Amino acid sequence: MPVKWVLHWHPSAGFSVNTQIMNEISQCVESLNGVKDGRWRSVLTFYKPITRDQSTAAEFPRDFLGLSIPEQPSKYYFIIRGQRIVLEADLTIQSIMETLQSYKSRVSLNFEGIQYQLGDFQVRVGKVAPSHSETMRGIVMEVEYLPISSVDKSRQILDDFVDIWKETLSKKSLPGQFLHIEPNFGEYGLSDQYTSQHTAVQYATVMAQLIATVQSTQGVRN
Amino acid sequence: MECVVQGIIETQHVEALEILLQGLCGVNKERLRIHELCLRSSPNLGSVSSEVRLICDLEQPEPTWIIRHVGGAMRGAGAEQLSVLVRTMVESKASKNALRLFYALGYKLDHELLRVGFSFHFHRGAQITVTVSSVNKVPKLHAVDEAEPVTPGIQLVEVTAPAASDNYTEVVTAVSSFCEYLAPLLHLSKPGVSTGVVPTAAAAAASLMSDGGGTTV
Repeated sequence: MPVKWVLHWHPSAGFSVNTQIMNEISQCVESLNGVKDGRWRSVLTFYKPITRDQSTAAEFPRDFLGLSIPEQPSKYYFIIRGQRIVLEADLTIQSIMETLQSYKSRVSLNFEGIQYQLGDFQVRVGKVAPSHSETMRGIVMEVEYLPISSVDKSRQILDDFVDIWKETLSKKSLPGQFLHIEPNFGEYGLSDQYTSQHTAVQYATVMAQLIATVQSTQGVRN
Repeated sequence: MECVVQGIIETQHVEALEILLQGLCGVNKERLRIHELCLRSSPNLGSVSSEVRLICDLEQPEPTWIIRHVGGAMRGAGAEQLSVLVRTMVESKASKNALRLFYALGYKLDHELLRVGFSFHFHRGAQITVTVSSVNKVPKLHAVDEAEPVTPGIQLVEVTAPAASDNYTEVVTAVSSFCEYLAPLLHLSKPGVSTGVVPTAAAAAASLMSDGGGTTV
């Protein structure tokens, strides 16, 4: 499976994300001769424990996430980032979780946008919004280098691509930048050969960053 | 959902049952060595107490874990009259971290079992699976090599078939009529309804062993 980097938009201090920034980013991909290749959507769900006694809620993980991704339509992923656990399961795991009545969905976020082909790279740009509203909470970008499936061997070329991308984007003078934080996949028991579980771990990492960004933005406003 | 019936047979008659099943199904048996972990939710977790099973067939060349949830049986006067139990059952394949994940979510290991035996998968009015296995308890954590039989000399026979809300009556009929062929050797009934071994088993087994199970039905 080709290696993918998941990047997130980090707004400059005092700024938030909006549709205009999203449009400028999309135009930028097109200026690099990106060819539109359809739409994509991933859905990330936060789960919270159902407890009989609220005072015991702290015993259970607060960062339990579920993820569905378009490249694996029959699979579902669970991540508990605090304990470095990722699990790949079938879609039916969602109905098992519903039947168990031990965790329930708190909120779901849609990551959706347009997919582009740029030679050997596949790029996806998407907005992050709660499933029940259109309010944009963030922007993500996936960059996939199709010929290589080794995380280590693809690092240099992906790094070079992201450098060119950032340089191109800098000409737009947008209030923020894309960041890539590579999780330590080994801590999750994942090897150098890229799998969709690596993608799930990256989404959990990006999510933590987006939450931190939203919280700091609110902190500035307050 | 699934349709299920269970029965027991003395180990000495298992070979005869295997011959009979081979003749009835026309397919080869598959060996199984299933490690089953039964997990239960912590007392404070969930609106109700819940149970989930992690299952791994160690006989497969690349063993994979399955998460299985067995729900409640179908209720009502109609369900009572059926000779087969119809219950919800959902399975999902899972990567190797399934146990760690459920521990992290607040589930505890209740008990673990090792089922050793064989199964037949075939189509006869429904996709039927017959499993014949010795159920072993695992005395120490994950020590499957030290497993000991729960009921020495007795094996569990389980007949299951996947079903849906719009076809379960046909599946129940298919399972019931298949069970009739096994009647001389064992009696199959809804799980939890113990019927013991059948008195005709020894004679039926002797007959099957002498003609090699060549009779096709």
